[in-house]
Amino acid sequence: MYKKLLKDDLENFIFILKKFGVVHAPVREAGRVYEFTELTDSKILQLNYTRTMIPPKKFFLKPKEQLYILNRREGFKEIVDDSKIVLLGVHACDINALNLLDRIYIDQFPDRYYKTRRENTIIIGVSCKPDEYCFCTSTNSSYALEGFDLFMHEIDDSYIIRIGSLKGFQIVCESENLLAEASSNDIKEFKRAEAERLKEFTLHLNVNGIQDILDASYDHPVWQENADICFGCGSCNLVCPTCRCYDTADFLNLDLKTGVRVRRWDSCMLKQHGLVAGGLNFRPTRVERLYNRFNCKMSLSEDSLNCVGCGRCTVYCPADINFVEVLKQVGED
Amino acid sequence: MKEPASENKPKIGVFSLTGCAGDQLMILNLEDTLIELLSKFEIKSFQEASSYSENIRLDIAFVEGSVSTEHDLEKLKEIRDKSSLLVAIGDCAVNGCVQAMRNSQTSIAERMLDVYGVEDNIYRALEPKGIGEYVRVDFEIPGCPVEKEEVFNTLISLLNGDPPLIPDYPVCVECKLNGYPCVIIEEGKPCLGPIITAGCDARCPSLGLDCVGCRGPIKGETNAKAELEALRKRGYPDKYIINRLRFFAGNFPDIRILGERKNSKGEK
Ligand code: SF4
Ligand code: SF4
Ligand code: SF4
Ligand code: SF4
Repeated sequence: MYKKLLKDDLENFIFILKKFGVVHAPVREAGRVYEFTELTDSKILQLNYTRTMIPPKKFFLKPKEQLYILNRREGFKEIVDDSKIVLLGVHACDINALNLLDRIYIDQFPDRYYKTRRENTIIIGVSCKPDEYCFCTSTNSSYALEGFDLFMHEIDDSYIIRIGSLKGFQIVCESENLLAEASSNDIKEFKRAEAERLKEFTLHLNVNGIQDILDASYDHPVWQENADICFGCGSCNLVCPTCRCYDTADFLNLDLKTGVRVRRWDSCMLKQHGLVAGGLNFRPTRVERLYNRFNCKMSLSEDSLNCVGCGRCTVYCPADINFVEVLKQVGED
Repeated sequence: MKEPASENKPKIGVFSLTGCAGDQLMILNLEDTLIELLSKFEIKSFQEASSYSENIRLDIAFVEGSVSTEHDLEKLKEIRDKSSLLVAIGDCAVNGCVQAMRNSQTSIAERMLDVYGVEDNIYRALEPKGIGEYVRVDFEIPGCPVEKEEVFNTLISLLNGDPPLIPDYPVCVECKLNGYPCVIIEEGKPCLGPIITAGCDARCPSLGLDCVGCRGPIKGETNAKAELEALRKRGYPDKYIINRLRFFAGNFPDIRILGERKNSKGEK
C-alpha cells in the first residue's frame, strides 16, 4: 500500500506527527553542520540534506548518557529515557545502520537503554541523492526494507510514502485527509526516480570477498602509510552510524556514597580502547588499530558488512584518509 | 555524616614551582564544594591559600609549575621524598608548558642576555621541564590551567582509593560527542585538537575557534608529523605551525625536534 503526500501538505503532516512525539529533523544552522535537532519551526527543515555529521544513532545510543544513579546503601537506579520522539528525514543508509545496531543491542546483548529509545521513536525515512562520498549501493544499503515506520520518496511535487510498521499505519490513518492513494502512474514515477537516483552514484567499491582480501593483506604497505598520517583521533568511528563501542565510568559525589555511572561513545582508533587490566594493550600501535577498524567495518558477521556506505568517515577525517580509496588499494594491488 | 578523625584524613600539600599559580587558583575556584572537599583532607601546605605550612610526611603532594631553576629541583626532590603520592597539576608540571617554548632553540645564556642583560646564569636557571623528567610522578592532571571539575574528580577518586580518570584521547572526541562542526574541515582553521588531550569538553571548537593546545599533547600517542602535514595542506607555513605546536608543547619529543636549532648552545 503506497500513499501520496503533496509537498504543499508537508507542514500539515508535520503538525500531525507532533501528536506522536517531539519531531526531530535535519537542520543546518549558520556555522553548523547538518544535525538532527528538534524541529521548532517547519521552515528550518532541510529534507534535501546530504548527511548529518552525527548519525541518528545518537538518539538510541547517546553520545554521553547517565546510566545509573549509584547509592551505596540503596543500590542503583537506572535512568531510562522513554520520551516519545519522531525522527523525520532519516536516510536509507542510516536506517540500515540502525538495523545492524539492533542485531547487537536488541538481539545479541539486549540493552535496556537502546531498546527503550528504539521502541519510543518513530522513524520516517526520506529518499536522498548521493554525493561523491556516498557508496551505499556497494554495501547494499541504499534502500531500506525495514527499520522504519514510514518512508517518503520524493517525486516532483510530492512524496510517495511506504508504510513499514503498525505505528506507521496509525500515522497514515491520522493523516487521512492529507494522503491520497498512490496511482499506478505515481508508482511508475516512484520507480523512475529510484532508477534515476541509482545512476547518480559515482563511487563504487567491490565488496565481494573483501573479508578474505583484508585477511590476506594484513601486511599491505597501505596500512602503515595511512597510520603515519592518522591522528588516532577517533573521528571516523564517532561519526560512523554502525560503530557501537562505548566506555563507562563512575563519578562519585562528595559524600563518596552516591554518584553516577555514565557512558560515552568510544573509538577503536583510541589508544585506550585495547587497554585491559594489568596494563596490557592488545592494539598498542596506530597501524594495528587502523587495520582493525577496516576489518571491523567490512565484517560484522559472516553474512554482513558493518558499513552502510554513508561516507562520513572520509568526509570528517581531519587527516583526509579516504576509506574507499584505502580499501581499493588493498583490494587492487 | 561523621567526619573521619583528623588522624585518618589523608595529609596533603599543594606546592608551586615555576608557574603562574593558576592551578592552585583553580582549586580555590571550586567555591561551592571547596570547604567540604578540603575538610576531608588535612592540609599541611597550600601556599596560595594560607601561609601556614608544616614540614611533615604527606600522603599526597600536588605540584604545579615546571622545574626551571636548581632551586625548583631541590624543592621538588624534597617534596617527592616526603610524599607517598605525587600528582602533577597543570601543564607546567606535566611538560613544562609555555616556558619550554624555546627549549632546544635558544640557550639559557642567550635568554639571560635577552631578559636580564647578563650572560651569567645568576638564577641557576635550567631549561624548563615537567617534574616527571626528574622524579617519579604518580598522576598527571593536564591543563593551562587545570579544569576544576577534573581537580574535584581527582580528589574524590584519590579519597576513594581509585586512580583518577584523566582523558587520554584527543579533543576531537569531545567535538564529536557534542556535535561541534570541525573547524579544520569546515573552515580550514589551524586546529591542534587532533593531538591535544581532551578534558576541556572541546571548549574552543564549541565557540568556532581552533584549539591552540593548552592541555598539551597526549603522551605516547600524539602524531605531530600528521598535524604538520594536515596544516601544511591547508596552506599554513611550517614556521607558523611549528611555533604553534611549540607554544604549549616545546618539550614533547616529536614536537621538540621540529624547529630544533642544529647548532644549539642550549644546556642539556
Ligand atoms: S578520523 Fe582519520 S585521523 Fe582520525 S583516527 Fe580516523 S582515520 Fe585517523
Ligand atoms: S565505515 Fe564509514 S562509510 Fe561505512 S558506515 Fe561507517 S562512516 Fe559510513
Ligand atoms: S575542531 Fe579541532 S578538535 Fe574538533 S574535531 Fe576538528 S580538528 Fe578535532
Ligand atoms: S586550547 Fe584546546 S585544549 Fe585548550 S581549552 Fe581550547 S580546545 Fe581545550
